[in-house]
Amino acid sequence: MSTTLDLFLSLLAARFVQYAFVMGVIIGILSSILSIFIVLKRLSLIGDGLSHTAFGGLSLGYFLSVVYFVDIAPIWAGTVVVVLGSIGITKAIRSTKISGDAAVALFLQLGLASGIMLLSISRGFGFNVETLLFGDILLVNLDQIYVALGVLAATLALIFIFYKELVYTTFDEIQARASGIRTWVFDYMISIVAGIAVIASIPIVGVLVISALLVLPALTSIQIARSFKQTVILSPIFGLISVVLGLLLSLIINSAAGATIVVVGLLIFAIVLGLSKFNRATISRGNRMVVR
Amino acid sequence: MSDVNPRTSAAVQLSDVAVQYPNGVIALDKINLEIFDRDLIGLIGPNGAGKSTLLNVILGLIKPTRGTVKLFGDPVSPENLRRVGYVPQKAQATDANFPATVFEIVLMGRIPQVGMFHRLRQKDREKVRKVLQTLGINDLKNRKIGQLSGGQQQRVFVAKAVVGDPRLLILDEPTSGVDAHSKNDFYAMLEKLNHDMGITIILSSHDIATVTKLANRVACINTSLFFCGPTSEFASSPVISNVYGYPVELMRHVDHP
Repeated sequence: MSTTLDLFLSLLAARFVQYAFVMGVIIGILSSILSIFIVLKRLSLIGDGLSHTAFGGLSLGYFLSVVYFVDIAPIWAGTVVVVLGSIGITKAIRSTKISGDAAVALFLQLGLASGIMLLSISRGFGFNVETLLFGDILLVNLDQIYVALGVLAATLALIFIFYKELVYTTFDEIQARASGIRTWVFDYMISIVAGIAVIASIPIVGVLVISALLVLPALTSIQIARSFKQTVILSPIFGLISVVLGLLLSLIINSAAGATIVVVGLLIFAIVLGLSKFNRATISRGNRMVVR
Repeated sequence: MSDVNPRTSAAVQLSDVAVQYPNGVIALDKINLEIFDRDLIGLIGPNGAGKSTLLNVILGLIKPTRGTVKLFGDPVSPENLRRVGYVPQKAQATDANFPATVFEIVLMGRIPQVGMFHRLRQKDREKVRKVLQTLGINDLKNRKIGQLSGGQQQRVFVAKAVVGDPRLLILDEPTSGVDAHSKNDFYAMLEKLNHDMGITIILSSHDIATVTKLANRVACINTSLFFCGPTSEFASSPVISNVYGYPVELMRHVDHP
């Protein structure tokens, strides 16, 4: 037992594990803040659409660099594709001809299929698809941390500056538009920022995990939040707890970090949902007794 | 309107407005309508008559296929929409799970007034408190919007519209699904806003009896405008049965007193 503990403690002392925690905290805060606007706009699947579009973009980047020796980092190809994808998804969602979920599904399929196609060609050149699907948080380097910090800072700044307009647009787009707010600006803003957050997160946690992180924290917090302010405070707390607990657990039981983070997030959601249901039942029973 | 008398200057002016939806349905046709400052005008007509479409045109949410719309003498723009408060139909109101308190929602009504790049301040919160008091919903201020009854929610949305000091308040069937008692309270509140605060009100409704009691003017539409004039003349006119029964070709437009 003590050897397991020793191993665990020595892992925590290792530089690469510390980088993993720093990166986890950054991605946890970034995704949980964005998740508030995504979930409350009922666009929970947009994270899926964007992350698969990003997958397609990154695959294109790898394909170009591995097969044609084009000298661009895959992340730049990915960024261009995901920004175009965010604009496309938002445009499709805002149009009345296609429903929002169908629009997201279209981009998801386009990104996933073209990504797999390009990667299958690149594979012969020694590239592994699992890296994109699941990421590798234990391979984080300092440059990636700086990029993610930059994305976090820019996102928080935008949300701080346009907070009230974003909240109003999220609450009711029609009412916001009818009072003269240019709501389309904020629809595109959230979608593009989420796209960039996705592209920065994929090499670390992978396509599958980032789309979960863009939903779970807000979904958990709105089960118990009594105001919008509480939602904004609780969401990053839940996001951080899932990331940190998930990472710790993955080190202890030697499981895939990204998947463990999502499982922990789901467990926290289930516990919070159960507690809030129990709480509500107790309150209504209390009220009935008062009435009697 | 060259007349400078506020009583007769037009808050809303629609000239020859027509709306045709992409599917070919003509929702509005040949609408010429003036709504004057301090009016409380009832907009009535059967289901599918184009009442909501007309309100959406005034709010700039739908661009008319033909004709012009003026708000306070100028074309509809984000700038003059700031002087308009809007209370949507209850059915489409909001997500019952939206985690916001009544106070937070009413405060949103100050956002257009504050403008981009400026933050909501203490005086905006003060204003919210005052409006909640005036409309008698101060005790609801910390409740979540989804926990309220239909009638209470509508009061909250009126508070949100009024807190922005609107010159014009537009309500789209605000009392559908609201019980009779709450309805009377609600209409009394509208009367107060119109009389005491001088807010021009456009109220679309199915409830002809109440509207004709409350409003000083009535506009009756069914795709086109069948009647627009003082309520007293509407009550004695045969137009109701015509609009709801057999559409008539004749259009009467009685000038504002």
